[in-house]
Amino acid sequence: MDPSLLSTRQLTKRFGTRTAVDGVSFAIQPGEAVGLLGPNGAGKTTTISLLTGLLHADGGEVLLDGRPLTGDTDPRKRLLGLVPQELALYEELTARDNLAYFGALQGLRGPALSEAARSALGFVGLADRERDKVKTYSGGMKRRLNLAVALLHDPQLLLLDEPTVGVDPQSRNAIFENIEALRRRGKTILYTTHYMEEVERLCDRVIIMDHGRIIVDDSLAGLKQRGTSVNRLRVELAEVREGTWLESVRALSAVRAAEFDALTLELTVADIARGTTEVLACLQHHGLTVTGLATHQPSLEDVFLQLTGRTLRDV
Amino acid sequence: MTQILAIIRHDLKLYFSDRRALIMLFVVPIGIASFMGSLFGGSGGKGGTGGGLEILIVDQDDSAVSRGVVAAFVNDSTFRVTVTNEAAARALVLKGQRSVALLLPPGLGTDALPGLFNSARRPIVTLLHDPSRRMEKSLVEGMLVPKVIGSVAQNSLRPEQAREFIHQGLTNLSRDNRPNLPNRQIYRELLERADKLLATRMNQPLFGPTAAGTNVAGTNAFTLPLPFATRTEALTRSSTGDYNGYAHSFAGMGLQFVLMCLLDFAIGLLREREAGMFRRLRVAPLGRGTFLFGKGLSLALISVLSLTGCFAFAMLVFRVRVEGSWPGFVACLLATSLMTASLALAIAAIGQTPAGTRGIGIAVTLLLVMIGGAWVPAFVFPQWLQRVSLITPTRWAVDGFDAMTWRGLGAEAAIMPVAVMLGFTALFGAITWARLRWDAE
Repeated sequence: MDPSLLSTRQLTKRFGTRTAVDGVSFAIQPGEAVGLLGPNGAGKTTTISLLTGLLHADGGEVLLDGRPLTGDTDPRKRLLGLVPQELALYEELTARDNLAYFGALQGLRGPALSEAARSALGFVGLADRERDKVKTYSGGMKRRLNLAVALLHDPQLLLLDEPTVGVDPQSRNAIFENIEALRRRGKTILYTTHYMEEVERLCDRVIIMDHGRIIVDDSLAGLKQRGTSVNRLRVELAEVREGTWLESVRALSAVRAAEFDALTLELTVADIARGTTEVLACLQHHGLTVTGLATHQPSLEDVFLQLTGRTLRDV
Repeated sequence: MTQILAIIRHDLKLYFSDRRALIMLFVVPIGIASFMGSLFGGSGGKGGTGGGLEILIVDQDDSAVSRGVVAAFVNDSTFRVTVTNEAAARALVLKGQRSVALLLPPGLGTDALPGLFNSARRPIVTLLHDPSRRMEKSLVEGMLVPKVIGSVAQNSLRPEQAREFIHQGLTNLSRDNRPNLPNRQIYRELLERADKLLATRMNQPLFGPTAAGTNVAGTNAFTLPLPFATRTEALTRSSTGDYNGYAHSFAGMGLQFVLMCLLDFAIGLLREREAGMFRRLRVAPLGRGTFLFGKGLSLALISVLSLTGCFAFAMLVFRVRVEGSWPGFVACLLATSLMTASLALAIAAIGQTPAGTRGIGIAVTLLLVMIGGAWVPAFVFPQWLQRVSLITPTRWAVDGFDAMTWRGLGAEAAIMPVAVMLGFTALFGAITWARLRWDAE
């Protein structure tokens, strides 16, 4: 039996002639926090819809707790909690009423439902506003309530579909803290976003999708290793001197490329630490005075650009 | 079951949190139904607010006969009479403020009786009317004949006057020199016998009031030989025997606004889907059937509350009564609510989007309530339209309510409307099931 909490095998979904999800396979183990990254239109939301049964796959399968879902009413759906991209809330009702409704649809009732609602609201810091209509909430508060609804039935796996869209920095940070707290509680998280910094903060594994396909599925560290070609070093020199010093620099084992222009030496190195040491020693050997030094380590953004040739925010 | 109850509780909460929707569901139909009811007969009977057709009478004769005609109209509850002068009557009819005015000419009292025997002396009663109100004109025209004859009979024709006409007739007969005048002897004998008979009844009214349309009991007078007598019988089983226009209008308008409000609610369902609410619902272990059943029941419950509110108001304020079967009435109300709920969902399922549904919904709703007799009773429709309207569920709903309220029919009269509406409910439910997109595609 598959020990994964959630796994997909060759998952495929087509809309007409367009293939939105093309043979996607991955597995998420209990307690993992996985980031699903990709630009708009990469197939992230369609994948989430397939995982939750909102869409029927044209090919492949989704296994939840080792078995495929048997239908709309499969009780194992309670293992899932979805935070949709949209604010799926009833604005005319209070937070409490919203939670009561969605909780009841999850099968909660009576004191268990009341306690779950109280706990979820407390977790996202909205306990004191539970009797207020949602339409009186700020955008950030609505986002937090959106998260609370998904937590109501204490799901094992939380699917967060771009949960910070349109949120101010303060509320975004509050949501991050909530998600980090959920990780500490041992919840499994699949976090969809096109913000690299969110994945770097919240996840320990990253799946990058583009054009409906997985192009990378790796740990955060492993992924950064793939971006070595973008380790950069910038050295400012005091003077311009003729000679063979530039050829010497280019010949260093850690240096992949070097360009000099207007007192600035731009280098691409295999490893920042080794490259810095070698380059500074070489320049000193040639009697050059260094007035400034800057390093640039690859971000996921760089990795994505390297892998796809596009930035994440390309549509 | 927990999920269905949750959906119903949630939808009611959502609906009752929207003040505008509540006004549309309860206040507006009551207001419009009150107005429509007053147009179509009010509460009927003497206590009705309609008060009959307002007519004008100009009495230019002021004789016993003309006053008798005026009194006959005044005493007829079909009319509300205002006596005025000719100029005012003409002005009011011309402006459309009154539909009909009667001008009783000078000499009506003296010339009406001879006019019975001599067309050259017949007085001319003028009937002024608004050309757009031909039904009222026909009604007054029809009622004028017995009232004038009745007044003439009661106030003008006495035995001594009749004997004068007979003597004149005998004189004319004897002066006629034609040798072979047919039946001369028969005429003479007839007039002489009539003269003898009248001689025994001097100083008494010759004709009783039957000609005016009232009873003849307790009088020794002859009766004017109208060729028929009339008896009216209101064919309802209601205790009053009256038509209550409010019963119909509250059924019709209640139905219309329930449909409009439920349609709005169904559009809200589509908006929820567009807003991603279905994504959240679908993650729960919630079946499509449970969801639609819950939605249908909550819409039906809203419909029950609205129709109950409408009829309660009509009963309290306009004396609308369930003159027929209460169980039949309740069955009609429940079947109507199920039918309207399923219709609203079916329209939303066909419309697919809020904008598309709004367009289709308005057209379908207006067509159904118009053809179904919700605005005006179906009996005023042409025959072909009355037959066509039977294919609309709204016609059966209105007919069912009419049967149970002012017609005063028994529960058996509700069986067919209820069965047809439940059939429509099944049809609309099937359409909803087949067409409403449950997937996020």
